[in-house]
Amino acid sequence: MAEIGRVRIRIPPQIKRGDVVRVRSLVIHPMEIVQRKDGKPIDKNYQFIHKVIVTYNGREILQADTSQSISENPFFTFALKATEPGTVRITFLDTHGGKYEGTAEISFS
Amino acid sequence: MERYTVGQGISRRHLLQGLGALGVAVGTFPVILGTAGSAHGQGNLGELQPEEKVDATLRRLFGNRVIKDGSNVIKLDIPLIAENGALVPITVEAQSPMTPTDYVKHVYIISDKNRRPMNAKVSLTPDMGAAVIGTTLRLGETTDVRAVVELSDGTLLVAKREVKVTVGGCGG
Repeated sequence: MAEIGRVRIRIPPQIKRGDVVRVRSLVIHPMEIVQRKDGKPIDKNYQFIHKVIVTYNGREILQADTSQSISENPFFTFALKATEPGTVRITFLDTHGGKYEGTAEISFS
Repeated sequence: MERYTVGQGISRRHLLQGLGALGVAVGTFPVILGTAGSAHGQGNLGELQPEEKVDATLRRLFGNRVIKDGSNVIKLDIPLIAENGALVPITVEAQSPMTPTDYVKHVYIISDKNRRPMNAKVSLTPDMGAAVIGTTLRLGETTDVRAVVELSDGTLLVAKREVKVTVGGCGG
């Protein structure tokens, strides 16, 4: 599997100040699901992303608690109002203490 | 799926086909690629949500609060039939002015028949400009998927759709 934690973010290219744009992101991650033996769940240290934090110029604009019901290599999309130029940072935290981040720049055309 | 071919990595379908060719049972997929036999020793099963029926999940999350039908303000975009239960795209779009006094505070995505029905809780802010969020889900079997929206004044609204799942996405 490609390296865990690689983050890709896509923002539309031509943005005007005040536009509400759709941000798309993808992170490479196994999102381990619970295994079962004889119908009972196995107690293991499952590795999956349980938190997503999005900041825009340092302000937290979105947060999500996620679970193993989110697909492997999770895809997330959300709206963002582009009020100022700057940096969108998406941070993914997993149950093994992993912290994976990606950034994208907003600039106006 | 277009969204997934962002340009790198092996698609899960190709990987599964490859593993199948090697004679590896698909059911063991998570064991091969996950961190089986972790160095930590103790598992985190106890920290997960409990396995429960969806009614218990709703009670746990919302108590006795009334959840009103929100199908006129919530657009729930999810396929009627999911060929691959491991990759079911969902987008929730709730009409809202998204001002500091009137905005969508949380969106809960709940899949009734999953063993742990609450899939995600997204917390939004007015800075988003619109209450739109999306992801892809793992669904174990044909199920209702609900989006419960909590507004800043505490109002709860729900929209739901039944998704028929041909191949379940939750392994065991």
